[in-house]
Amino acid sequence: MLKILSFELKYRFKRPATWGYWAAMFLLSILLATNGSVSIGSGSSEKIFVNGPTQAGAFIAIMCTLGAMLATAVMGVPVYRDIEHKTQNYYFSYPISEKGYLMGRFWGSFIALIFIGSGILMGHILGCWISKTFEVGNNAERVGPFNILYYLWPYLIIGVPNLFFAGSLFFSLVALTKRVFVTYAGGVMLLVGYLIASSLMTDLDNKTLAAIVDPFAINALDDLVRYWTVSEQNTRYFPLAGNLLWNRLLWVSVGLLPLLYLLFRFDFRRFLEAKAAKGLFKKRQKVAKQSLVADKIDLQRILAINPTTSSLSGWKGIKTMVGMAKLEFRNIVRDPFFIAILLAAALFMFLDMQYAGMLYGTDSLPTTFLMLETKDSTFYFIVIILIIFITGEVVNRDRTFNFHLIADALPLPNWLVYGSKFLAMIGIMLFIPVIGILCGMAWQTIQGYFDYNLPLYLQGYAVPVLQWTFLTMITFLIHTLVNNKMTGHAVNIAFWAVLYGTRAFSEYNYSLLYFNAVPTGAFSDMNGFGYLTNTIAYLLCWGGLSAVFLVIGNLFWTRGTETNFKNRWQLAMQRFRPMTGALLSVFTLVWLGAAGYIYYNQSVANRYRTAEENRELAVEYEQKYRKYYLRPQPKVTSVKVEVDLHPKQRMMDAHGRFVIKNKHNRPLDSLILNVGSGFPHYTMSLKINGVEPKKILNDSIQRFYIYKLPQTLLPNDTAVMEITSHGEFRGFRNGGESQFTVAENGTFLNHGDLFPGIGYSAQSEMSSERYRKKYKLPIREFDTPARTDSVGLKNFLFSQEGDWITFEGTVSTDPDQIAIMPGYLQKEWTENGRKYFTYKQNEVMDMFFNVASARYAVHRETIKNADGQDIKVEIFHHPTHNKNMSHFMAGLKDALKYCSANFTPYQFKQMRILEFPRYRTFAQSFPNTIMYSEDFGFLADFSDPNQTNYAYYVTAHEVAHQWWGHQVMPSFTRGGNNIAEALAEYSSHMVLHHAYGRDVMQERLKYALDQYLRGRGSESRGEQPLMDNENGSYIWYGKGTLTFYALQDMVGEQKLNGWLREYAQKTAFRQNAPFTTTDEWYNSIYAQTPDSLKYFVEDCIKKIALYENKVTNVEATPLKGDQYKVKLSVETKKLYYDKTGKEIAQGKTPNYIDIGVFAEETKNKLGMKQKVPLYLQKHKLTPGKHTIELVVKGKPIKGGIDPYNKLIDRMSDDNVTKVEVL
Amino acid sequence: MACFSIFVKTIKSKNLSLMQLIIQNLSKTYSNNVQALKDVSLTINRGMFGLLGPNGAGKSSLMRTIATLQEADSGSISLGDIDVLRDKDSVRKLLGYLPQEFGVYPRVSAETMLDHIADLKGITNRGERKEVVQGLLQKVNLYDARKKNLGTYSGGMKQRFGIAQALIGNPQLIIVDEPTAGLDPAERNRFHNLLSEIGENTIVILSTHIVEDVTNLCSDMAIICLGEVVAKGNPNELVRSLEGKVFKKSIEKAELDQYREDYEVISTSLKMGKTQIRVVADEPLLGFETATPDLEDVYFSEITKRQGLAV
Repeated sequence: MLKILSFELKYRFKRPATWGYWAAMFLLSILLATNGSVSIGSGSSEKIFVNGPTQAGAFIAIMCTLGAMLATAVMGVPVYRDIEHKTQNYYFSYPISEKGYLMGRFWGSFIALIFIGSGILMGHILGCWISKTFEVGNNAERVGPFNILYYLWPYLIIGVPNLFFAGSLFFSLVALTKRVFVTYAGGVMLLVGYLIASSLMTDLDNKTLAAIVDPFAINALDDLVRYWTVSEQNTRYFPLAGNLLWNRLLWVSVGLLPLLYLLFRFDFRRFLEAKAAKGLFKKRQKVAKQSLVADKIDLQRILAINPTTSSLSGWKGIKTMVGMAKLEFRNIVRDPFFIAILLAAALFMFLDMQYAGMLYGTDSLPTTFLMLETKDSTFYFIVIILIIFITGEVVNRDRTFNFHLIADALPLPNWLVYGSKFLAMIGIMLFIPVIGILCGMAWQTIQGYFDYNLPLYLQGYAVPVLQWTFLTMITFLIHTLVNNKMTGHAVNIAFWAVLYGTRAFSEYNYSLLYFNAVPTGAFSDMNGFGYLTNTIAYLLCWGGLSAVFLVIGNLFWTRGTETNFKNRWQLAMQRFRPMTGALLSVFTLVWLGAAGYIYYNQSVANRYRTAEENRELAVEYEQKYRKYYLRPQPKVTSVKVEVDLHPKQRMMDAHGRFVIKNKHNRPLDSLILNVGSGFPHYTMSLKINGVEPKKILNDSIQRFYIYKLPQTLLPNDTAVMEITSHGEFRGFRNGGESQFTVAENGTFLNHGDLFPGIGYSAQSEMSSERYRKKYKLPIREFDTPARTDSVGLKNFLFSQEGDWITFEGTVSTDPDQIAIMPGYLQKEWTENGRKYFTYKQNEVMDMFFNVASARYAVHRETIKNADGQDIKVEIFHHPTHNKNMSHFMAGLKDALKYCSANFTPYQFKQMRILEFPRYRTFAQSFPNTIMYSEDFGFLADFSDPNQTNYAYYVTAHEVAHQWWGHQVMPSFTRGGNNIAEALAEYSSHMVLHHAYGRDVMQERLKYALDQYLRGRGSESRGEQPLMDNENGSYIWYGKGTLTFYALQDMVGEQKLNGWLREYAQKTAFRQNAPFTTTDEWYNSIYAQTPDSLKYFVEDCIKKIALYENKVTNVEATPLKGDQYKVKLSVETKKLYYDKTGKEIAQGKTPNYIDIGVFAEETKNKLGMKQKVPLYLQKHKLTPGKHTIELVVKGKPIKGGIDPYNKLIDRMSDDNVTKVEVL
Repeated sequence: MACFSIFVKTIKSKNLSLMQLIIQNLSKTYSNNVQALKDVSLTINRGMFGLLGPNGAGKSSLMRTIATLQEADSGSISLGDIDVLRDKDSVRKLLGYLPQEFGVYPRVSAETMLDHIADLKGITNRGERKEVVQGLLQKVNLYDARKKNLGTYSGGMKQRFGIAQALIGNPQLIIVDEPTAGLDPAERNRFHNLLSEIGENTIVILSTHIVEDVTNLCSDMAIICLGEVVAKGNPNELVRSLEGKVFKKSIEKAELDQYREDYEVISTSLKMGKTQIRVVADEPLLGFETATPDLEDVYFSEITKRQGLAV
């Protein structure tokens, strides 16, 4: 057995396939380690090291499923090989036992498989090292300290058993059936089985079953680490116990079974003999007879049959070529390697499909474009690797079988042989999308979604198919020139690794330098594939170049045994015909023509700047013009605009009439304008009171201008500023043509895109501290002025150029579109084949307006607000995106009612939601308008009540901004945005609280807590409390939610809302400086908070305080009746941190903390999981250990401390535990 | 139909009778500095031409060069008015080539593969193709195994398949490199008959290191050694040149080394437990019997001169 084993090993390690598989695993792992997001549990948390024991383990487990697919190829062949290579003749004669033979073959191959799997480990280790050392990829900051055991342990307990299970299964299948094909069938079955199982398991309550029956143990791991904290994930090994242990035992045994069966039942001789002997014996008998017949055949007659065509040119040649291509195609698709890799690609596609479009943990409908997009990640890379290897096989096919001396001497022109091989590859290019599309449609079907969009599928694959074809063309050339299959593979892989590596990891991003880079826009239901000129130009460019490669490859096509490059060169020259020259010139022309066109568009018609140049520009901007920061400027008080949108031409013309006023107490003689428009080609002209002012400073590079006012503007003087502007896109720019602003269908422009801003805009400054240091710019602790800053207090946070304004305007667009601006529609009409709309805002608003235009369908309702007022509510949406209207509508209604009832009256008589294409994913609140991305709920699947209904929740948040942000406008001082965001988030959570009930809120609160805790981990400038936080969205959303939700829970919702109402009444539409600050906000709450709770307000708003609450034990003793005496042992701690995250103090004083005891979970009326408290009360607990005894009615199931996660708790999962009933 | 075929054949034959393969001053050095061919010049006419030489003599290199599969450093080859080294496509249309070593597509049957090759060689008519393939399969005695995958073929069967493919499409120049390797005596015989039948009208170049094959089959031949042509001509004439110059003697094995020093020993063989040596000398030798020279003696004497004792 050992001899067979060592032979098997030697054989394996001499086979290029072994190294090829290893290299594939290795390279894929490097790629995924640096750029991927292969993870389980809460692996997305940025504090969790990608190379820690959990995530490295998860990576290995997931990648080993791919390894299991490879097992089909590796484990299936060793036994079959003896039949195929006819070694049966002598294997008979050796003194080996059947068991020895089988075990030798098995373990030899299995060791090879383990070796191949080690590529995963090494690739990941190297990938992490690369990303940390060179700070490339998106995981650089997530690489922790390296520990080899973090890799070996999971490989040992997860990877190796998985490989063993799959390997033994495939090995035995072949040994028993003698057919290699069954392993592929087995592989497919395993894959399909796993997919069906894991989709069924999501519906199963019984996680234990799910954890045990998954052969790859991924569900088991997921279940295991689900509640592990960051630090645990970074230090703890998977314990081989519980479900994981059972899972491993089960599947290793399942793997052992066929192997044992084989050992005791396998008949060695029958296996090897059966097939060969049958045919041979029969034939021997006939040989003699046949000889007689043979002699009668007239050789001369046979030989006299002449080739009927003297040459294979023209039609006959083409026909022959197609025939040969078909043969070659069949050869490829029957290749086990091809099948195995394609299966793996499909597997990854399915894995990606599960998460396609997922947001807040909520599934999206499996729309065709989402299915299509799953091809762009791992699938795409696997296909590239596949193509490189398959091309190598195809180019070297005759040589591999040693048939080339015969084949090469056949009277076939080179182009015919070469062409047939290329044609076969084209067949493969067309075959791969079929697989991809079938996967997509299969997933859609599994999900019960039958709206397959086949034309879209086909369009979506057009560009990749062409890219893959170009890739094949250059691979042909490389393989032909290298003239050795394995070296060819290596050169090709190296070529692509360098090309993709540089493109992905370096700043050099001029697409024309990257062969096969084709810019494509995302697909949007609204705007289709959008702008395509650049896509076509790039396809022509690379197509031309690839065709040149292909022709050159044909010239150097290897025929015969010549390897000397000098001779091959001469041969190529010999083969050069006028036709070759003609083809080469045509293709070169196409290539250079397209390249020239691209260069013209990117570098002549548009300006291209390198990343370095962009940084230098930002540095220069700050150095030159920072001195104008918050320099007193006139403020806009009234706006009247006319905007002409030309969506098809990607163009706009605007005219704005602004009344500006000197609100300062000193005269102003100049006006500063900065252009921040998204239009790359933007011109404007300015008139003040009808006169063109003189430019004092004209920096068209920085788009920064200073004008001398015709008349000095005295305090409280006003003037009329008229701006006429024109913006357009010309051709296309490097890196793809963004359609963020003007799309053929789905234009969304901010006022900054239409008109210049007044004053110096600090937003264009460089924010990265790393680069600020590098360019010697001052490092600032804060970006905004202090809360006492007299200038800051005089400015609005969101618009320094105007305070409250009046607004009216007319907008025109294409005749089939609806264009919308703030205000009430006054009239609409058609003129000169264009559609016009006039809007007027009757109320004042902040200077934050937008223009949108698209072919909208409109959903309209009128609702009665809490104060009895009618509010017109409209949703402007893409006609087919009408599935979730009720959710948006409910969010609008409930939030309008809640805020009107609890805070101040709603300032407008209408509210709108406008959908825009999914090039950007966000929702943003403008006065009486919410801009909503196509991707943000219109196509989500809200059918599972336990998945976040973010259409409802986000709408409520954005509606609340009509109060917090559009009524209460913070001043331009430190912390201001927390007022708007934290209160909007609080309001939306109270809307949820009322809609769903208190007892389901834990899910949301935990989400907020998670957001905050994860955010802290990736804070780069230092964490600030709510009072001072300027940019940390995790603070104003996550911590803000928890702070105010917990506060209303402590002081009472009505009370807190009363304080907030008072604050809003004081500050809403405040006309004069000082505008509100977090000081005013804080004090209005703090002053009214009972003394006993003041600590909580301080902790939450002014400090960084985190609890560590934990339940250690809950026991219950049944009393008489249905009563139980419950004893809870809990522990509480409160820690204070500085901004770097260092612990600075421990809380000593008591805190109010919920203690709860719960019965079995039930469902609320919406079907959401809901807790059933038997007891839920606040206890005043000093930090330390406590034992609490109480009596409840009903059988307690769970109990603990702060069970709803209202407090900011560093470990939120140890708050509740199962009750032990004594 | 039959008449028509014959008519066509006759015309072709006429053309062919004028056709000669002329190799002039052909040289080739591989990149590892092995000089495979040194100034080889040969003129080969219709009929069987034997190319005799030890392993590694350059036979295969020469044949591959003629078969358009390899470039030459210098020299020229012409087939009729075709420049073989340049106009490869024209040569390939007339060529039937059986390489010394070749593999097969394991999962294709012989019949399918031959049909495919016939198609590639330009026999477009399905019926004719079938006739050729079936006929050749019978001729090489593979008819019964025609449906079996080539991967299951034994060495001899594979070799016969190779012969069949070389004969498809009425080749005018047939190059067979060590064709009888792996064939049993009966098959070898049949193959020789086949070749000589073909050789009546075409140029057949047969490379081998088995002297007997050449003796039996070829009217013309060359001996090649270390890349050089060391002898060429009609086998009988070559044998005649050694008339009266070959002597034999039975000796003890232990004496062999001494004899090698003293005489030009061209071959040794065992006869009834004793070693028999053959030597070449211009004058009769004392103690030696005069032997009747054969082609083997010619071969060995040429080889021995250049390479030392061959056998």
